[in-house]
Amino acid sequence: MNTTTTPNASGKSNGMATTYVVYVTILAIAVYQVCFAMMAGPQPMLMLALAILQASIAVMYFMHLAAERQVLALALIPYTIFVLFMMNMIWSDSVRLLHMRPH
Amino acid sequence: MSEAAAHHGPPQGFIRKYVFSLDHKIIGLQYYGLALVAVFVGMFLSWLMRFHLVWPNAAIPGLQLLSKVGAPGGLITPEYYLSLLTMHGTLMVFFVLTNAPFAAFGNYFLPIQIGAEDMAFPRFNMMSFWTTFVAFVVLLAAFVVPDGPPISGWTAYAPLSAIGKDAGPGLDMGQNLWGISIAIFCIASLLGSLNFIATTLDLRAKGMTLMRMPLSTWAWFVTSCIALLAFAVLLPACLLLVLDRVAGTSFFVPAGLVVSDHLQPHSGGSPLLWQHLFWFFGHPEVYIAILPAMGIVSHILINSMRKPLLSHKVVIGSMMAIGFLSYMVWGHHMFLSGMNPFSALVFSFPTLMITIPATVLTLIWLGSLYGSRLQITAASLFALGFISMFVSGGVSGFFLAQPSIDIYLHATYFVVGHFHLVMGVAAIFGVFAGTYFWMPKMTGRMMNETLGKIHFWLSFVGAYCIFMPFHYLGLAGNVRRYSSFVDDFMAPLMPVHKFITIAALCTGAAQLIFLYNLIHSRFWGPPAPVNPWNATSLEWTVPSPPPWNNFGGVHPVVYHDPYQYSVEGAKEDFIMQNSPEQVKTTVRS
Amino acid sequence: MSQANLAVDPHAAVMEESPFAIPSSKLVMWLFIISDAVTFGAFLFAYGYIRNASTDWPTPFEHASIWNALLMTFILVTSSLTILFAVRAAQNDDRAGAFKWTLITAGGGTLFAILHLREWSSLIGEGVRMFQNPWGAPMFGATFFTITGLHMLHVIGGVIALTVVALTYRAGRYSAKHIEIWSLYWHFVDIVWMFVVPMVYLLNMKR
Ligand code: HEM
Ligand SMILES: [Cu+2]
Repeated sequence: MNTTTTPNASGKSNGMATTYVVYVTILAIAVYQVCFAMMAGPQPMLMLALAILQASIAVMYFMHLAAERQVLALALIPYTIFVLFMMNMIWSDSVRLLHMRPH
Repeated sequence: MSEAAAHHGPPQGFIRKYVFSLDHKIIGLQYYGLALVAVFVGMFLSWLMRFHLVWPNAAIPGLQLLSKVGAPGGLITPEYYLSLLTMHGTLMVFFVLTNAPFAAFGNYFLPIQIGAEDMAFPRFNMMSFWTTFVAFVVLLAAFVVPDGPPISGWTAYAPLSAIGKDAGPGLDMGQNLWGISIAIFCIASLLGSLNFIATTLDLRAKGMTLMRMPLSTWAWFVTSCIALLAFAVLLPACLLLVLDRVAGTSFFVPAGLVVSDHLQPHSGGSPLLWQHLFWFFGHPEVYIAILPAMGIVSHILINSMRKPLLSHKVVIGSMMAIGFLSYMVWGHHMFLSGMNPFSALVFSFPTLMITIPATVLTLIWLGSLYGSRLQITAASLFALGFISMFVSGGVSGFFLAQPSIDIYLHATYFVVGHFHLVMGVAAIFGVFAGTYFWMPKMTGRMMNETLGKIHFWLSFVGAYCIFMPFHYLGLAGNVRRYSSFVDDFMAPLMPVHKFITIAALCTGAAQLIFLYNLIHSRFWGPPAPVNPWNATSLEWTVPSPPPWNNFGGVHPVVYHDPYQYSVEGAKEDFIMQNSPEQVKTTVRS
Repeated sequence: MSQANLAVDPHAAVMEESPFAIPSSKLVMWLFIISDAVTFGAFLFAYGYIRNASTDWPTPFEHASIWNALLMTFILVTSSLTILFAVRAAQNDDRAGAFKWTLITAGGGTLFAILHLREWSSLIGEGVRMFQNPWGAPMFGATFFTITGLHMLHVIGGVIALTVVALTYRAGRYSAKHIEIWSLYWHFVDIVWMFVVPMVYLLNMKR
């Protein structure tokens, strides 16, 4: 496997048109994010949601995960999200010890 | 789809062959050797601790050479006791329990069991061993720096671990070395698990479908999936700890902390954050230690029972369930840390859930043993011993998992008993089982069975003598990590401690039988045939020891499930995975 | 085994098909990426934890720094586009084009790093240190420098890697596959930045 790439990764990879659309979308989200934060103040949840949106588009179309076999995405994405999701268990401790409240 | 397998020809010269070798078998042996050194150092440290606990006023001649300050005249100071304890735990958990069952046996046998010539990335593989080696050297260097090894335990709890020498000896350079060593270890593990996953998925011989992989291969595979993301959390934890120590930040140190009459120049951090990050890794880590042993033991038991387990698929599913749940339970180590009590409740639920796949596995082993004609060998004895230890140690987990009961038991010898049985002894028994089973393949020489059985009985009885009384001590209120109990409410427990220490010294000495057996048989044992145990998996189709490219340049083709034992109508009572022999086999779930 | 065999037809007849049907090295890059994502995740969680636990977290970033961050986003996302040009060119056997676009991407990364270092130095000029700043909770500097520093290390590592890949590719020892694999890494660096901007910059904007 030194000289060729696998057909389904690159051969099928979306045309440049998709790439440009993705590029513009990601930048547009970034601009929207900044403008929103400047005008209405940064709302953490919205900012995070927009970042996740950007990231998923990039993973799917820049990194061509959408063009690979679906099982690759199923192996990588849910596992990563699950592990990161579990870390949310730490939040309740981050606020309560401030005032030494039980919860 | 590997580009790397077979990209190295037969190794030339001593350095390429035995030192910077790309051969997964040599690398496996290197890991095994490293773990062997670590386990004897770790055991020696535990002897010192046990000795000090019961004879606190007896000097250990020569110990002052190890540390003039820590053991003046051979008498261990309370602080130095903690240093020994830290090094014991760190060596054992990282360099023995992670390295031996996973990296050592996994490296040696995973490629052969799936019919590959080598790992997918031999160069990565070599790097991961040598990175581990550097981590090991950096850790041991803590013994020679002036203030000695850190005193914060293998869990390096902040703020003790995050502030400087105000808090005690070893918290200067020693703790820095600890943090750096473990960070390096994380990188080594990352390299290793990447390689294991790629190899398992991409290098299987024709016919070796995922479901036809032996259970040991499955266990190493699931373990590497856990290790991939678990060590990814320990790495930042260690980096932040080192920053707290050298860059003056305070991720893990709260404001207003006064230690040794000094107000610490820190504010804004939280010791709980360290515990969260550490145990987020720490609980998956205990399964990184035990899953490979489960796989090895299943592999060996099946061979000795000469019949497959009740269900291949359920075993694999349980191992995956354990891996999945292991990320959801870390808070059970923090019930008493000041964590939100509501979180404690939330964590105790999956903790109890994780006992379900563990119980399923145990029931499958026992159910398969029931009515089977088990061949008693040193390997199968240790496999049985593993189950015994795992169950005995696991049962105490049920108690610890309830926050209300843990209030009483936390930080007592009960916990020490729990995890030594379920993780320490069980995983080590898995390694012993693997050693007696596979050493013939690895060295080309049979080990002595009689000595092996003697070794088993001494270790088995010895381990129970050491670790069962720990539970009793814990129930009696004996706290852990104290360097002496004399003149205290714990004084009446001293006879138990004496008993344990004597048992520990004897059981430790019994390991010399193993060492003798290992070394003697390596050189003078009877030559091992290709398949001494009439086993079915691919490692038994290649010469003992296998040539550098495992299968001598041919590609094995696999026709059968991994465990075709006692097959009706077959020529022998077993069918090798690569045997083209056609028999009607009953479909098993 | 005959190496020739492997090189001509790696899969047919001798091995089971890989479930993902991608080269092992690409799989390893993906695995490294998810592992690294969790590492960055842990850093961000630690930052959030420390921030939540403090009462005087400073929010010092003026609009000018935010625009600067947006400019950096623009550069990094654009470099993600140029690495795609490189991949496309390499797949069409346009070796000169692939070499050129890979180096342009590395140039974009360098520009990003320079802009970032400029920002760091102006913050340091304002008195921000690892554990000290003129505005409030001293941990601000620690979280800012560790997170952006780790990201910048990834950028610099990526620039070096891309340069090496480009040169090796031109020398004919690397193929389109290698460019594609390193493009994954480069996109990942970009994705991390997508989280750094809102979490580290926007949330710390002057109000
Ligand atoms: C049967 C399921 C299990 C349950 C419910 C369980 C539960 C617990 C709990 C609640 C603790 C914390 C006790 C305390 O500190 O107060 C604990 C400690 C520990 N467990 Fe388990 N456990 C189980 C299985 C295992 C296994 C399989 C391993 C290793 C292979 C293991 C290794 C450990 C270790 C190393 C510690 C203590 C670490 C330390 O504080 O130094 N446990 N366990
Ligand atoms: Cu645990």
